[in-house]
Amino acid sequence: MELVLTKHFGNERYRHLDTYTELGGYEALRKAFSMSKEAIVEEVKKANLRGRGGAGFPAGVKWGFLPKDLSRPRVLVINADEGEPGTFKDRLIMSRGPHLLIEGIVITCYALETHVCYIYIRGEFAREEGILQEAVDEAYAKGFLGKDILGAGFDLDVTIHRGAGAYICGEETSTINSIEGKRGWPRVKPPFPASVGAFGRPTIVNNVETIADVPWIVTHGGDRFHALGGAEKNGGTRLVGVSGPVNRPGIYELPAAVSLREVIYTHAGGLKDGKTLKAVIPGGSSTPVLKANEIDVTFDIESMQKAGTMTGTSGVIVIPEGTCMVRALSVLMNFYAHESCGQCTPCREGCGWLAKILHRIENGQGRKGDVALILDVCDHMMGRTICALADAAVMPAQSFIWKFREEFDQHIRDQKCPYGNRF
Amino acid sequence: MPNFTLNGISVDVPDGTTILQAAKTVGIEIPHYCYHPKLSIAGNCRMCLVEVEKFPKLQIACNTHVTEGMVVKSNTEKVKEAVTGVLELMLIHHPIDCPICDQAGECGLQIYYMKYGLHKSRYALEDKVHKKKVQDIGGQIVLDAERCILCSRCIRFLQEVTHTSELEFFQRSNHSEISIFPGEPLNNNYTGNLADICPVGALTSKDFRFKCRVWFLRGAKSICPGCANGCNVEAHFKGDILYRFQPRQNDEVNQTWMCDPGRLEYKRANDARLLTPVVREDGSPRAASWEAVFSAVAFRLWETMEKDGPESVAVIASPQFSNEELYLTRKLAEEVLRTPNLGFSPRTPGNGISDDFLIKADKNPNTRGAQLLGISEEKFEDIVRKVAGGKVKALLVFGNSIADFSEEETERLLADVPFVVQVGTNEGVVSRAAHAVLPSASFVERGGTFTNHAGRVQRFWMGFPPRGKSRNAIEIITGLANRLGAGWKFAGESSVFRAITGSEAPFAGMSYESLGESGHVAGGKG
Amino acid sequence: MSLAFSEETRAKHDRLLTRYPNREAAILPTLYLAQREFGHLSDEVILYVADLLGFTPARIYGVATFYTMYNKKPVGKYHLQVCRNLSCSLMGAEHLIEHVAMKIGVKPGETTADGRFTLSTVECLGSCGTAPVMQVNDDYYENLTEESIDAILDGLR
Repeated sequence: MELVLTKHFGNERYRHLDTYTELGGYEALRKAFSMSKEAIVEEVKKANLRGRGGAGFPAGVKWGFLPKDLSRPRVLVINADEGEPGTFKDRLIMSRGPHLLIEGIVITCYALETHVCYIYIRGEFAREEGILQEAVDEAYAKGFLGKDILGAGFDLDVTIHRGAGAYICGEETSTINSIEGKRGWPRVKPPFPASVGAFGRPTIVNNVETIADVPWIVTHGGDRFHALGGAEKNGGTRLVGVSGPVNRPGIYELPAAVSLREVIYTHAGGLKDGKTLKAVIPGGSSTPVLKANEIDVTFDIESMQKAGTMTGTSGVIVIPEGTCMVRALSVLMNFYAHESCGQCTPCREGCGWLAKILHRIENGQGRKGDVALILDVCDHMMGRTICALADAAVMPAQSFIWKFREEFDQHIRDQKCPYGNRF
Repeated sequence: MPNFTLNGISVDVPDGTTILQAAKTVGIEIPHYCYHPKLSIAGNCRMCLVEVEKFPKLQIACNTHVTEGMVVKSNTEKVKEAVTGVLELMLIHHPIDCPICDQAGECGLQIYYMKYGLHKSRYALEDKVHKKKVQDIGGQIVLDAERCILCSRCIRFLQEVTHTSELEFFQRSNHSEISIFPGEPLNNNYTGNLADICPVGALTSKDFRFKCRVWFLRGAKSICPGCANGCNVEAHFKGDILYRFQPRQNDEVNQTWMCDPGRLEYKRANDARLLTPVVREDGSPRAASWEAVFSAVAFRLWETMEKDGPESVAVIASPQFSNEELYLTRKLAEEVLRTPNLGFSPRTPGNGISDDFLIKADKNPNTRGAQLLGISEEKFEDIVRKVAGGKVKALLVFGNSIADFSEEETERLLADVPFVVQVGTNEGVVSRAAHAVLPSASFVERGGTFTNHAGRVQRFWMGFPPRGKSRNAIEIITGLANRLGAGWKFAGESSVFRAITGSEAPFAGMSYESLGESGHVAGGKG
Repeated sequence: MSLAFSEETRAKHDRLLTRYPNREAAILPTLYLAQREFGHLSDEVILYVADLLGFTPARIYGVATFYTMYNKKPVGKYHLQVCRNLSCSLMGAEHLIEHVAMKIGVKPGETTADGRFTLSTVECLGSCGTAPVMQVNDDYYENLTEESIDAILDGLR
C-alpha cells in the first residue's frame, strides 16, 4: 500500500533536512514552483483532500474562499492544537516528519499567495515544538524558508506560536484569537476567516496532516491521491489512531475507505488480555459511539455519516466489555465542561449541567427523569452556539444514552454503579 | 435597500441592516441581552435566535444581515422553545436575589422570564456555582458576579467607548467571571453607564442602591444641567424627590451615554433647596408670601431707580437658566429696569474638568443660550467693578453663586450692596447675603430649552410642579416686571419661546414641535 | 516596580516582538517567558507584563486565567500532570492517580510540603496510543505502570 506520510517515519534522521532531502524531500516544492498557482489548487481539489482536523471540509474548496484581490496580505495558520481525545497523529508528523509539514506549508503558501504562516502548537507538545523549531531553523538556513526561497522569488516567514492549554483553541477562529494574544474564544461568523481572519487579514486554517499531504499530491497528482482513498469523495490515506486496550495501539496510515473492523482487529491486533469489544468511539470523543455490532462500516467521511457517526479525527477509542458506559460518559462530560470557553450560554451552562448530572448518576444519586433531562439539555445546546464544542459534547451524550440506555436506567433505579465506580 | 419578510410582514431596510435592527423598525421585539446599538456585536447570549428560511440551524438575529428576499420568523414554536431553553440555561446559576436586587422591575431576566419562561427550576441547588457578591469596583458601581449573565456589554463599553478596559473575563467555562484586576478599580468618568447597560443586577449604581423600587418612579425628559454638553437625560422621581438620572438617546449629542459627575447632578434638585420666599429685615431673614416679596422687591428697585438712577441697578444673569428665562431677564433689564448693567459669567466654582468625549469645562447648561440672546460677558466684569466700587445700589442676582468666586469673595462683594435680590434654587453664600430671596423651580419642575456648547437648542420637560413655594422663574420675572408696570402677558414657556423665535435671529424658524426630543442647532452667531 | 526581565530574556522578548504585527499577539509568548523567569504569574508579574506590553492588568489577567498552563499560584519543582481522559482511564489512569497520590501524600490539586511535587489531573495530552500518560513539567512519560511511575518519581529529585 502506498504510504503518503509515514514511509520514512521509522528513520530517526528523517526529521533533519539533509536526510529528508536525500530521501526526495523538497522535490515537490521545486515542482510546485514550476506550476501555476491555479494548477496546484486544482490538484488539491482533484485529490478530494478532506480536512484532517475533524470537520472534513474539502481543503481545495476552503482555499477557494480567499478573496480574489491581493491587496490585503494573507495568513496561513497550521492547526497543531491536537486536543481531541483519542487523537495523537499530528504529534507523530511533527516529531518524525516535520519537513513534510514545512514543505506542505511552503507549497500551500505559494499557491495561495501567502507570505506569513503561524504554526499554532498546543502548549503541552514542548518536545514536538522543539523538534519543529529545529526543522524550521534548518529550513531558514538552507533557503527553504525566508526570502527568495530556492531562488524562485517567493518569500515566506513561519513562526511557531505556542498554545497554553485549551482544547477550544483547536476551533479555527479560536486558534486565530489565541494567536492574536486573546482568550481562546471562537468568533461569531460571519465574517469567516477567509475574509477576516488573523489580524483582520484573509486567513486559511488547516490541520497539520492536511498540509503534510500536499507535497505528495503535487508530486503524484490529485487523481492518484484521490484513488488511494478508495472512496468517491474522500481521497488519500489517513493516519488512524487506535487507543484503548488493544494489542497494538498506535498510528496506522490507511486508505480513507478502510473498514473499521479491519482497523481494530487486523492492524491494532484486536483487544488484548482476552477482552471483548463493547463499543467504539470512531473519530475522537466528539463522534457518536458505535456498538460492537456496528463496526462493519468503512471509515471514509460519507460512509460514516450514513452510519450515524463521523470520521472526525480518525481517533479510534476501543471500549471493552466490563466498562461502565455511564462512567465513561462522565469522564467525557467532565472534559467538555472543563474545556468550554464560557463565551455563550448554551455551552457554558449546558456542558457544566451535563457533567453534574452524569456525576450524580454514576455516584448513585441519579434522579428519576435525569436521562430525559440530559436529552432535553442536549436539545437546547445542539446547533445553538457560536462554535461546535457544544455539539461535540452532545454527540457522545446522546449516542451513549441511545445505545446504552439500560445502563443509565439501571444506575438510577439501583442508585449505584454496578461496575463499582471503577473502570 | 433589500426587502425581506419578518413574521409575514414585508420590510425594507438599508444595506447592512441586521434582522434584529430591522425588527425594531417595525416594532417587533426580538429578545436579546448582549446586543447594544452602540457596541460591537458579541453574539454570545443566544437569545435572539430566529428561523431563517434555507438555513438548517437557527440563526442569531443580531449578526445576520438582511438580504433580498430573506424570510425570517421569530414567533414560531421552534423559536419560542429555543429562547426558553437558552433562558433556562442562563438562570441555572442565577441567585434568586429579586427581593433585594435593585434591578427588579427593569431586569432583562425578569422581563423575558415572564414572557418565555415561567418554568420551575430543574437545577439542583447544591450544584449552583457561587461567585463573589457586593464588590465595590470603583467609580459609581457595585459588582455582583453571581448575578452576571456574561453578556460582555460592560467589557465592550470599557474597551470601545472609554478605552480603559478595567473589566475583563477571568477563568473559563462556567467558572467564567467578569471582574477588575485586584487593586485596579474602575477609573474613568463614565462608570455610571455600566449600570444602565447591564441587563441584570450584576452592575448597579452605588448611589441608587436600595433607595427606591423602580416601579414607584416616574420619568421626565430633561437635559443634564451639569455642563455645556447638554446630555439628554431622563430624570426619575417619586413624589417631588429625584432619585436618579439615566441618559436618553440623542445621537447628535451623547449617543446613549452620560458622565459620572453629571449623573449625580440630580441631587441639586433635592438638596438645600430654597423653598420659601424670604425677606431680610433688620438683618434677620423672615419667610414671606409671594405677594409681600414681589411688593417689597419691586418697591426697592423702583426706589433705587428713582433716587440713584437706573445705572445704579445691576442684573447678573445666569447660564443655569433656560433660554426663555434669560430672554425675560434681558427684557426686564432693558425695558423695565432700563439699566445697561446686564451681564453673565460662564465661570463656576468647581474643578472645570473636561475631556474629548462628553465633559465640557463650562459647567453651565446654557452659556451659549445667554450668548445667542445677546447677554454680555464683558459687561459682567464691568458690573463686578462697579459693585466693588460702591456704584451699585440694587443688585439682582440670578443663580446660586457668582462666577467662580469663593464664598469669602462673594460675601465681600455683596456685603456693601444696599439691596441684593436672588432668584435661585439652592441655599448658599448668595441666599445668605441676599435681602430678598425668590425661590425658583429646578430643572425638573418646569419646562423650557437650553442651548448647548454646539448651539443645539434642546427642550426639557416638567416632571412635577415646583416644590414647596418655589415658582417657575418665568412667573417670577413676569411678576416682578408687571409689578413695575410692564404689562407682560406671557403664559408659560411656549409663549416665551414663540417670542424668542420671533425676534432673535439665531432662533428664527424654531418651535417646540420642530425641536422635538432631539433638538435643533441654532443658526447664525449670537 | 522591582520586577524585571533579565537582559537575556529582554533580548528574547525583543526578537519575539518582531514575529507579530502588533504587541497584543505577543501576550501568550510573553507570559511563558515571565513564568519561566519568575516562577509563576503572581499579581506582581501580571502588572509587570501589562506595563511591558501596554495593556491593562485586567486584560493580561484575563488571558492568563483562560489557559491552564499558566500558573497563577506557585507549583512544586515537579508538576505531575496525569491524564484522566477516556483512553488513559480505560488503561488504568484512575488507579495510577490514586497510587501517585498515596505515594507522595497529596491529593490532586495539592503540593507536597517540601515543594517537590504538585499533583494535577489533566485532560487529553494527545498521546492516547501510549496510555496511560503523565506530563512532568515539559516532559511526557508514557505507557505508565505502577512500577514505572515509582521509578520516575524516585528519579525526580
